[in-house]
Amino acid sequence: MDKLDAHTLQALCSQLAAHQWEEEELNELVDPKLGIITGFQELLEELEVLRHVDLEFTAPAQSVQRKRKV
Amino acid sequence: MREEELAFASINALCAGLASGDISSPVALTQFFLERSKRLNVDCHAFIEITEHNALRDAKRLENMRDAVPLRGIPFASKDLFDVEGVKTTAGSRVLADNTASADATVIKRLRNAGAVNHGKLNLHEFAYGITGENVVYGTPVNAYDKSRLAGGSSSGSAAAVAFGLVPFALGTDTGGSTRVPAAFSGLVGLKPTFGRVSRSGIIPYSWSLDHVGTITRTVADAALILQTIAGEDKNDPDSSNEPLDDYLAALEQPGNLSKLKIGVPRAFFFENADSEILAVTELAIDNFRAHGAQVVDVELPKMEHTRAVSLTVQMPEALSVHSRYLKDRGHLYSCDFRAGLALGQCLLAEHYIRAKRMMTRYRQQTNAVFEKVDLLITPTTPIIAPRIGQRRITIDNNDEAIGNAVTRYTSFFNMTGHPALTVPSGLHSLGLPMGVQIIGRYYEEAEVLIAGLALEENFQIPKPSFHA
Repeated sequence: MDKLDAHTLQALCSQLAAHQWEEEELNELVDPKLGIITGFQELLEELEVLRHVDLEFTAPAQSVQRKRKV
Repeated sequence: MREEELAFASINALCAGLASGDISSPVALTQFFLERSKRLNVDCHAFIEITEHNALRDAKRLENMRDAVPLRGIPFASKDLFDVEGVKTTAGSRVLADNTASADATVIKRLRNAGAVNHGKLNLHEFAYGITGENVVYGTPVNAYDKSRLAGGSSSGSAAAVAFGLVPFALGTDTGGSTRVPAAFSGLVGLKPTFGRVSRSGIIPYSWSLDHVGTITRTVADAALILQTIAGEDKNDPDSSNEPLDDYLAALEQPGNLSKLKIGVPRAFFFENADSEILAVTELAIDNFRAHGAQVVDVELPKMEHTRAVSLTVQMPEALSVHSRYLKDRGHLYSCDFRAGLALGQCLLAEHYIRAKRMMTRYRQQTNAVFEKVDLLITPTTPIIAPRIGQRRITIDNNDEAIGNAVTRYTSFFNMTGHPALTVPSGLHSLGLPMGVQIIGRYYEEAEVLIAGLALEENFQIPKPSFHA
């Protein structure tokens, strides 16, 4: 996986159906300064690891059901 | 009752005072808390709006109603995500500064039907995005034990309002710890019930998959009383559960219940990289359970290394979807940190989101397998005490971490699994700030969680805050 740069995000948001974002907002994802959001690059690297986890046919989480003690 | 005694009384004590005549009337009680709130809010920033007129109107209606409703005249306030008819729901943001609710949220309606009197709208991190509770529009709620520190967030005003004695209980929401964390930082009891146990209808969402309604109270018995009032099926919330309700108050009155419980301690991750005093007091809490006759065993939960990534990957696309209706015309009114988070939600791929939701299912399966062996889990609520206002990072055991990550490290997993979780005060740190212990139970078994919380509460009382009122 190549390193993410701001141009990729700008192209993604301008060429796909998306909201309008300021350049500095997309830069924040590549070079975070506000301290709230994990850098997007680090998040993508974690997601890449998770992509290799075999979840078989596990369905996405929805509501929860009571589990009786066995 | 003297002012401080009244301000810090439990709901049960206030109900008893009204019934006996020690407190003359719901109007007198309402006036007392309104006056105190107006005086102290200047410093603590708990309220965004104190709805004095509505509170007095509702209290007057209750004057001639004797014992007909369980919460007759009891004041409360709600995080400013909950709709209250005729009152603005701002979500702590300029974006919704003119947003007046046309009806009560389901939980507000249930509390008002039970006789509780709403005193207003409480401060929060803008749209519940963020755990520090810092708010540039409405001010940052401060910690009642040290005003230079955070009350915690995102339900910052909810914790500050109860901790400063402005209301006996408050409603919050909890997406990654946003009720439990501020409750723990402020020396209070915070309950996040099972996902679906309490309706979210009429509450501005942040992330549908992770949002829970939470309560902040002074005592475990009060948490049980409020849960009994607000829980239950609601046809207006598609995630609301039709599981029957337990009698939570009756459960707390059964002596010896704790000796029947088996308690699991997940030492990996949840007892690592934390303040040593917090770990020590959690061990004392575990010893307390043993002393009550509970069986205590070590357990292993799923590996936690990617849980924050999973949570974030679910949260941000959902938050973006919530806010897409406002971004075009009001996008400039959001704070810049929230807009950056929404931009992240825009740039994640659909498969990332779905995979994260599937990981949530896997976490649920793995945690439910643990709950086949034990009845409850116990962990510290947070690895650190309340940070200073403006603090961005913390170093523990040579590990440097963003405050937002550190604070939610032990809580956010249970938003993904949906299990009920309670924080109870466990002691005062040597720096004079509260610490909390978290108890987690099986789905819909809030009663067991509350029983365990009561056992801790009986032996781990902490002093009231000693700020100048």
